[in-house]
Amino acid sequence: MNRAPADTGRRDFEVTIGRVVTVGTAIGVTLITVGVALMVVGGVSPLEPSPAFSLRAIGAEVVAGRPRGFLWLGLIAAIATPPARVVGSLIGYLRQGERPMVLVSVAILAVIAGGVALALATGSGVG
Amino acid sequence: MTTDLLLLGGGIAAGLFGSLLGLGGGILIVPLLTLGLLGFSLPIHEAVGVSLVSVIVTSSASGGVYLRRRVANLRLGMLLELFTASGALVGGLVAFLVPDRLLAALFAALLVYTGVTMLRGGRVEYVADVDRDDGADDPANGIPDDRGVPRDGRPPGLTERLVAEISEPGYAVRNLPRGIVAAGFAGVASALLGIGGGIVKVPVMHVVMGVPLRVAAATSNVMIGITAASSAIIYLLRGGIDPYVAGPTALGVFAGASVGSRLVERVDVRILRVLFVAVLAYTAVQMAARALAS
Repeated sequence: MNRAPADTGRRDFEVTIGRVVTVGTAIGVTLITVGVALMVVGGVSPLEPSPAFSLRAIGAEVVAGRPRGFLWLGLIAAIATPPARVVGSLIGYLRQGERPMVLVSVAILAVIAGGVALALATGSGVG
Repeated sequence: MTTDLLLLGGGIAAGLFGSLLGLGGGILIVPLLTLGLLGFSLPIHEAVGVSLVSVIVTSSASGGVYLRRRVANLRLGMLLELFTASGALVGGLVAFLVPDRLLAALFAALLVYTGVTMLRGGRVEYVADVDRDDGADDPANGIPDDRGVPRDGRPPGLTERLVAEISEPGYAVRNLPRGIVAAGFAGVASALLGIGGGIVKVPVMHVVMGVPLRVAAATSNVMIGITAASSAIIYLLRGGIDPYVAGPTALGVFAGASVGSRLVERVDVRILRVLFVAVLAYTAVQMAARALAS
């Protein structure tokens, strides 16, 4: 199929975005794999009480080789990959001067940021 | 067998069956974790958090491939995911207020709908293998390219400009407002039930919005990441994701879906489909019983 130059440019940009998603997923899966392997080796049962999520503690837990450090990091990488794709898209659309898509990208990130703010404001709700 | 290996195995089975039948793993993971099939039972809220993570991992893996292969329509996906993300945000916040029994009833209804859809039309096309398409609805196959631009000479309005932006050579997106409403609904359903929402998005994009099926399936995969991530972040920050359960399950689903996507050409899914519908029916009854339990 013959594409106009503008179409070709925007498609090339999407290929780059696809690579970002693939790399982010690979990082997340790798970290989760390490965490699960450490669980098995260390005899950590999934039925143990769920550890509280603490962003500050993750670094120390990874350094100490605790499974939950790698699991949290992997889960964060997995969850952060789609928003990272939107950030990448925003940069691409800004470079290409596509204002409607810049606005859409910013609006998506605003919705996600709103969810984070509301979740932090309302605290834990899981019994 | 230890519980972590059971979770890994359950995740592999969910990912494998889901991939072979064109479903995401979410519709199988939540019953697996809540109905005691692995020897323990989680509250639905916690199972939904685990399922959302699994859905993100598998959809991101395939979504990245579809973007690199230039199959997905990223602009259409991003416009719609603005509304799926909004719906997921609402659903993610409301989910913590919804009683477990109501969620079980909603999930039972979803299982029945999915089973009926499979019996009537075959693949649900959540994670449809875009390479299997026969090309009949390929964007390059001569459908007029009007890009949504008005033919009567008047300046284009906002909707028409957006339609022009998200249409591709070979097809023009139509019925954008209906697609937006459906996207919002899919987002709420995703956050409440831990599914990707492709079961809503793919048919709407294809049938209502005029997007070729292979593009709709690929675009849905790309969108699911943001849909699920919007509510998964809320679940994570509110303590609704247990890493010891989510890790093995997500890894299993990822592995199962990866194997399933390679086997799909070699397996006769007709028998599998009947078996799967029976599993869905059994699970729906169990979920309904949970909803009605005092």
